[in-house]
Amino acid sequence: MNRLKEKFGAGAVLQALAAPALALVAAFVLSSVVIAATGEDPFHAFYVMIDFGSKSDSQVWIINKAIPYYLSAAAVAIGFRMNLFNIGVDGQYRVAAFFAAVVGGAFALPGVVQIPLIILVAMAVGALWAGIAGVLKTTRGVSEVITTIMLNSIAGSLIGYFLSEDKLAVKDGNLFHTPTIPEAARFFLIPTDPDPIYGTVVIAAVIGLAYWFVLGRTRFGFDLRAVGRSESAASASGVSVRRMVVTSMLLSGAVAGLVGMPTLLNKSFNYGTDFPTGVGFTGIAIALLGRNHPIGMALAALLWGFLERTGIQLEFEGYKQEIVGVMQGIIVLCVVIAYEIVRRVVLRRQQREVGAELSARAGAGAEQDETEQKAGATA
Amino acid sequence: MSSESSGSSSAPSGAGPGPGLPGSAVELRGITKRFPGVVANRDIDISVARGTVHALVGENGAGKSTLMKILYGMQRPDEGTIGIDGEDVVLHSPADAIARGIGMVHQHFMLADNLTVLENTVLGAEKLHGIGAGARRKIAELSDAYQLGIRPDALVEELGVADRQRVEILKALYRGARTLILDEPTAVLVPQEVDALFDNLRELKSEGLTVVFISHKLGEVLSVADAITVIRRGTTVASVTPRETSPKQLAELMVGSELPTAETRESTVTDTPMLHVDGLRLAATDSDGVERAVLDGISFTIHKGEVLGVAGVEGNGQAELVEAIMGMSDPDGGTVTLDGRDISHAPTRVRRESGIGYIPEDRHRHGLLLEAPLWENRILGHVTEKPNTNGPLLGIPGAPRLLALGDARADSERIVAEYDVRTPGIEVTAASLSGGNQQKFIVGREMSHHPKLLIAAHPTRGVDVGAQAQIWDQIRTARREGLAVLLISADLDELIGLSDTLRVMYRGRLVADADPANVTPEELGSAMTGAATGHLEHQEETTGAAAEDIPQNASANDDTNGGVK
Amino acid sequence: MRRVTKLATAVTATATLALTATACGESSTESSDGKKSKGVGLAFDVGGRDDHSFNEAAARGTDKAEKELGVKTKEMTAGNNETEETREQRLTSLAKAGYNPVIGVGFNYGKSVNKVAKDFPDTTFGVVDEQSHAKNVVGMTFAENESSYLVGVAAAKKTKAKKVSFIGGVDNALIQKFEAGYVKGVKDTDPKIKVEVDYLYKESDEGFNAPDRAKNMAKGMLARGNDVIYTAAGQSGAGSIEQISKKKGAWAIGVDSDQYRQKGLEKYKDVILTSSVKNVDVAVFELIKSVKEGKPLKGNQTFSLKEDGVSVATSGGYIDDLMDDIDKAKKDIVAGKVDVPTRP
Repeated sequence: MNRLKEKFGAGAVLQALAAPALALVAAFVLSSVVIAATGEDPFHAFYVMIDFGSKSDSQVWIINKAIPYYLSAAAVAIGFRMNLFNIGVDGQYRVAAFFAAVVGGAFALPGVVQIPLIILVAMAVGALWAGIAGVLKTTRGVSEVITTIMLNSIAGSLIGYFLSEDKLAVKDGNLFHTPTIPEAARFFLIPTDPDPIYGTVVIAAVIGLAYWFVLGRTRFGFDLRAVGRSESAASASGVSVRRMVVTSMLLSGAVAGLVGMPTLLNKSFNYGTDFPTGVGFTGIAIALLGRNHPIGMALAALLWGFLERTGIQLEFEGYKQEIVGVMQGIIVLCVVIAYEIVRRVVLRRQQREVGAELSARAGAGAEQDETEQKAGATA
Repeated sequence: MSSESSGSSSAPSGAGPGPGLPGSAVELRGITKRFPGVVANRDIDISVARGTVHALVGENGAGKSTLMKILYGMQRPDEGTIGIDGEDVVLHSPADAIARGIGMVHQHFMLADNLTVLENTVLGAEKLHGIGAGARRKIAELSDAYQLGIRPDALVEELGVADRQRVEILKALYRGARTLILDEPTAVLVPQEVDALFDNLRELKSEGLTVVFISHKLGEVLSVADAITVIRRGTTVASVTPRETSPKQLAELMVGSELPTAETRESTVTDTPMLHVDGLRLAATDSDGVERAVLDGISFTIHKGEVLGVAGVEGNGQAELVEAIMGMSDPDGGTVTLDGRDISHAPTRVRRESGIGYIPEDRHRHGLLLEAPLWENRILGHVTEKPNTNGPLLGIPGAPRLLALGDARADSERIVAEYDVRTPGIEVTAASLSGGNQQKFIVGREMSHHPKLLIAAHPTRGVDVGAQAQIWDQIRTARREGLAVLLISADLDELIGLSDTLRVMYRGRLVADADPANVTPEELGSAMTGAATGHLEHQEETTGAAAEDIPQNASANDDTNGGVK
Repeated sequence: MRRVTKLATAVTATATLALTATACGESSTESSDGKKSKGVGLAFDVGGRDDHSFNEAAARGTDKAEKELGVKTKEMTAGNNETEETREQRLTSLAKAGYNPVIGVGFNYGKSVNKVAKDFPDTTFGVVDEQSHAKNVVGMTFAENESSYLVGVAAAKKTKAKKVSFIGGVDNALIQKFEAGYVKGVKDTDPKIKVEVDYLYKESDEGFNAPDRAKNMAKGMLARGNDVIYTAAGQSGAGSIEQISKKKGAWAIGVDSDQYRQKGLEKYKDVILTSSVKNVDVAVFELIKSVKEGKPLKGNQTFSLKEDGVSVATSGGYIDDLMDDIDKAKKDIVAGKVDVPTRP
């Protein structure tokens, strides 16, 4: 009974709901101010966004857009949970998608074989690319922030080198791209109206579930989070921090390798010069926004998609194109600040509770002595 | 432990010698602080006479620090008044307090390592005497007047703990302090240094300065203080003078019940070796790129049921020894054998699984995940052991091993209840508990896995007397059941009281050994500073359980001594 | 606390999904009304209307159409790092709202224009620099190789060191077209002249916005004795032109528009020998006009020297003495006597 109260007590609910509510209200107010400052009507803007964003084709668009964002955020979050800042998701997914596309375009095996093959290649390449940063960190002590940024750049050059006609690509108009993946090796679509949802949404769901399960329910996940919270305590508790750094970079990179899959297997079917870039950086914002939480990041990815979808409509309605970028920034800032405020409030509440507990016991001295006796007896 | 609840819940009896004494330097009346923290101050009345050393004693968490923060202007009281030199004041900040002649020496020194003593002293007080010759003159003046022995051009990083403390005192005096608050000043000092500090304090007193001295080491308090105020659970429970009280009475006032002791006399030492360390060596490269041995030729054996105490001034290799035995650092030479199994290079996790329990010196860095709830801290360090873990997923070998969150929570509840961890629940973060309760939780956690060997580094540091007794009891009980304990402590009474065998560590070597039955803290202290080596022989002859160990120890020590010189 | 957070988030998530679900049914494209054209829909590439280059040239075309044909224009601009989905949506928005024609500026719009056009069979779409794959799409491409050939002739005539060079922004098919024409123009004029060719970036579009890199590359080329440098790299060109201006007797050749007349390059105009101009405005205007007249263009339209789709700038008068050679070369190309390659 007591535990139930503890778990669902006022404090917990406060923490769970206050921060998002606070962030939303603040973001709403600030965005309104910014829009008003550009001389436009903020309320009409919100009306346009909600009206347009809730249309069925918008919903499909938003979901499809959110899939790579979510995967990217999950990859970043694995690093975050372990206190590693993997800025290199961007390079990792591009290299991964490129080589996966090369492999996918080179064979014409049955789909049940080739799709997993493509996905495995992507994960392996992504893991390898991130693993370089992990190994450098553990063996040479180089900050993963530096190495992953560098590796992003190297990834671009590497792809550029291979993405030419005499290497691994074919020319198509002004574009170069890898040979197109055969029909059989493409991912299924979920036939929604008017446009289909990418089947790769299933991959995102599986990754979300695995993220939650592995981090929250397994020994490995506990070790990883322990390192993230305190390297020294984790090391004293028996976690090999070095191995954990490499492992988590590999995992992060493997998930990053999946970021390009929705585009590759559901949309472009090849890796070309027009393959999306920058999704890795969006992932950082979304991981921050979603508090590294599997559901939080899903909501954040959808919100991001919603903003991008409705942003184009806003521009169409005559609002400044940059408004949406500003709103995205405001939201991330508001969320980060709101959570920090609420965290402090909750910590103070907890300390007060602990204090109350102590003075309650102090008030009843006899009772306390009894407890001490009991403790002595059991020991 | 028996309970004597008579005095514990009674109202403050001897508190408040009456307000407004003409000679009082500091006068706190009815101070109440409702603070969102561990303990609030309630109706505190203290009068500190000018030109005296006034000790403030109480358990950790009793509210001493809060009170001193109020006096130093770091916090405002909700009720009550502060009088300084007979005048009621309101202190908004430490700057206000300094302006009124209050100075504070914190437990953790606030000095910039890479600056000289002069620079540290002048820093932030440049306006007083400039930064050049004037400042130097003033420092020399103060140093001479109070016999502080300050070397103004020494770099702080080259100074020992005691010297640093004197620099802190100098800093306060330089800023014109007439009342000095010292927060637990002896916690970091060896006995000889404590004596030197007390000489300084007497010097200050004779020059008409006032010292407020916070401590929970009662012997020291009685030797230096002119007046003592006891604080318990946020309020003043007694004001006494050293002449009319004894350490025991004082302690009982602090705790509110009869005192625990660290005494352990009946021996439970067996012949079965549990931990055997042989020729352990660990080298480290310092900032100048020079390699030097931080551990050298360390050899000892701990038997089942034996407590081996290691004394030493901090920084002489104790932490490295613990890390080498725990597997957090890989030794460069020598072997570590646990229960007949060579674990010299085994990973930490394997060592923990094979039965090493660990109470770390720095619980915040090595023992807890501060931001995580208590029940997750229950799992820390024992993630592979029951009740925290289940088998692999779906029973497939090699599949991810699952946590048993329900069992871990239930067991956390048990630890909280059995070890009297005072917390509203297991969902609060470890950071929100007081130090003593954090430590009780750690002890509970480590003991729950029935270790073969317990490494206890400063197990009762920063822990109140009640919890201290409990932790000692736990160690004694487990020892009776065959636990081997490596005890490292700066508290010599604790070491002498709890250990079956004593060793002294100095500059990475075990330089001396002693029989706790007849060694005095002073004798240990001189070995800790490197002044004495070999077997510390008291006037009375050695007897008791540890005697049989001596021959082999002595030979080992001969080697090490040879190496030092 | 953690568990509660999770629970609460789960509830929120479910609620949000439920809310979203209720909105299903109505599609934003269903409200499309009427056949009457609202005017021209113009989707810019990154950089927008005021990029002093490519987008601006397209905008000149619509400006002219507004003035002469009385049509209205709706302009939208691409963001950084955007994806196919976003471009598709932008074009869809324009078409759905009834704009006709809808024009995508830049080959980035190639795929999306061809895809979206299928959903709006009654609207004419145009895409600059890319091929048409649909009935109602007009692919407007330019014979940049031809104008590059002509500046190659000018370079060959002007060089004293008998060494000229080429800087490409990004090593893609489009920029290779510039290279191929230029090299051929130089070699046809004087086979002994050495041509040094280099690209700023292999893959990244950053090549069109990396003036510093272009500056360094030009510095190296000048040091190796090249005295005419043709830079086909969008914004990056400013960097190489600046560097060239520091060396006496060296010439720069501009690209896309008449860079001698560009405000931002005014300080260096004295070294700008000529520019290989791509008249995007002409192409855009022609398309709008055809739609306005009810006889929309169809299929791929190549704008070459013949239609004045590409040309050579003469501002500054530095090539006045070479005009005979250039005009002759132009005539030969138009007449088909000289075959200018599109790939190096």
